[in-house]
Amino acid sequence: MRSRRHTPESEDHGIDLAPMLDFVLNLLIFFIITTSFVKEAGVSVVRPEADTGEYRESGNIMVAIRENGEIWMDRRPVALRDLRHLIERLHIERPDDSVVILADRDSEAGMLAQVMDEVRLGGIQEISVAADSGEGG
Amino acid sequence: MRLRRHRVREQESSHGIDLAPMLDFVLNLLIFFIITAVFVKEVGLVVNRPTGGISTAGGDTGAIPISILANGEIWIEGRVVDLRAVRANIERLYAVNPKNGVLIVAEPGASTGLVVQVVDQVHLGGIYNVTFSTSG
Repeated sequence: MRSRRHTPESEDHGIDLAPMLDFVLNLLIFFIITTSFVKEAGVSVVRPEADTGEYRESGNIMVAIRENGEIWMDRRPVALRDLRHLIERLHIERPDDSVVILADRDSEAGMLAQVMDEVRLGGIQEISVAADSGEGG
Repeated sequence: MRLRRHRVREQESSHGIDLAPMLDFVLNLLIFFIITAVFVKEVGLVVNRPTGGISTAGGDTGAIPISILANGEIWIEGRVVDLRAVRANIERLYAVNPKNGVLIVAEPGASTGLVVQVVDQVHLGGIYNVTFSTSG
């Protein structure tokens, strides 16, 4: 009985799936863990160009300022006075989030300053202003 | 012979649970996560905001002030400076007093693009302590 289980006949039944399964599960866990839940702004803006921009790994809350002054966040327009509460809520959910402000090239600097202040009042101090790297156009 | 092989297969099926449906499911999950993994890498410039309540232009902090007007003029030390000359001016002022950062005071109507370009030039000059405030 025991010897029959190890006969070559049962060996050639198929390839051993166990190592592949291990590998696939590892891949799966890797992707689950590294998935960053980016809150996209939902509008496209013309970013200013800058050569010294640096990649922000943890920048995952996008706040966009359009050239007409509209503020977009999480795929919908928000009012400036609501921004603080939204940021507060997100900050409580995931405290290590940081904010990237996608300000349009033609938007006003005053609006940028106000948005930065609201984000800071919402509790997130790590703010960066998005830019296009120079060669990207 | 044929009969025996059949019996062996029966034994194998009772050997453990069938992994195939689980494997399908796990592969689907894997594909889902690979596809939805957002590889968003935003290039950003880190800009400070003045701490405290109302920002004062330059003043007692000793930071090097740069004014940006709504019409696109850049003023450093009482002179209009071209964008391309910002870096040289800032490098000179920073060499005189290396402890200070740069304070950019923009009029609220100035364009964000110009502000970011000025910040970029200051960064290129080697100063990363940039504070951004607005006047009025």
